[in-house]
Amino acid sequence: MPLSLQIFSLCIVLLYFIIIFVLLKKKRFELRYSLLWLLAGVVMLVLVIFPNLLIKATSLLGIEVASNGLFAACIFFIVVILISLTTVISGFANKIKGLTQQIALLEERIRSLEDDNIE
Amino acid sequence: MRVLIIIPAYNEEDSIVDVIDNLKETNEDVDYVVINDCSKDGTRKLLLEKKLNHISLPQNLGIGGAVQSGYIYAREHGYDIAIQMDGDGQHPAEEITKLVDPIMNGEADMVVGSRFVTKDGFQSTALRRFGIKFLSGLIKMRIHQRIYDVTSGFRAVNVKGIELFSNNYAQDYPEPESLITAAKFGLRICEVPVMMKERQGGVSSISSFKSVYYMIKVSLAILLGGNY
Repeated sequence: MPLSLQIFSLCIVLLYFIIIFVLLKKKRFELRYSLLWLLAGVVMLVLVIFPNLLIKATSLLGIEVASNGLFAACIFFIVVILISLTTVISGFANKIKGLTQQIALLEERIRSLEDDNIE
Repeated sequence: MRVLIIIPAYNEEDSIVDVIDNLKETNEDVDYVVINDCSKDGTRKLLLEKKLNHISLPQNLGIGGAVQSGYIYAREHGYDIAIQMDGDGQHPAEEITKLVDPIMNGEADMVVGSRFVTKDGFQSTALRRFGIKFLSGLIKMRIHQRIYDVTSGFRAVNVKGIELFSNNYAQDYPEPESLITAAKFGLRICEVPVMMKERQGGVSSISSFKSVYYMIKVSLAILLGGNY
């Protein structure tokens, strides 16, 4: 890998980390939901610094062009992150359902208490 | 025994008052609660005006979340039996005693009112009956009991069922899946024949273009779901 490309890639990965850390700092990102993104960043960083690792790993797997292995790994990572997001959303949906039910029950209680008071 | 009728209602302004009037005429000693699932029509206004006992969900949860609110209400108010009944007039109030009797006699924990046991009254379309037969077969595979009208929303449970369903009730298209939940929890389920009518107002929650989606989703729910 030419040095210029390596430096450019390194800058991109560093920018990626800065974005995530700024979001974390501003609390726009919950730490527990950012772990997978950080892990992905670490993998990118390692591969930028030691590109030979990627070439060795892909040829070991029988992948002829190293970049194909990289794309496959990226897609895998993204899918894992999407699945984890779906579980997070499902959890939220469940909590919202519970809150909705509780609010409705409380509203009914208030209404019947008000009616009792008027009588 | 204190009995509560849970009536989920979504856009039922045309039929809900008749359903409740009919209920009061035929069953004097039961309470009821309408669950208004964030209806877009005048259902809420009507319920408030006529001072009908109801709870109004601030967001639309779908039939599962709505009915579950009713079970939570039943638990909080200490009811012994809870009965689900649609707000569109399909389920005849005169038949409620048939659902209650097996629970009173201690023969069952959950009773499903069925169109198909004796094949009287409104029977739905042929395609829908075939779909229900298929789902009935799937359910038999999982709980080793034949229940014919697995999509029936006319059903009663005792205290054990109220406790179970207030903690754990299937969402979206809950009727078939909740049978699995009940059976896996150890509730004794029985099915009794009832006469159903064609709905008086509103539309079925299962429109034709959604039926394929419905079958896939419910089949999966039956195969995988029902954990409590």
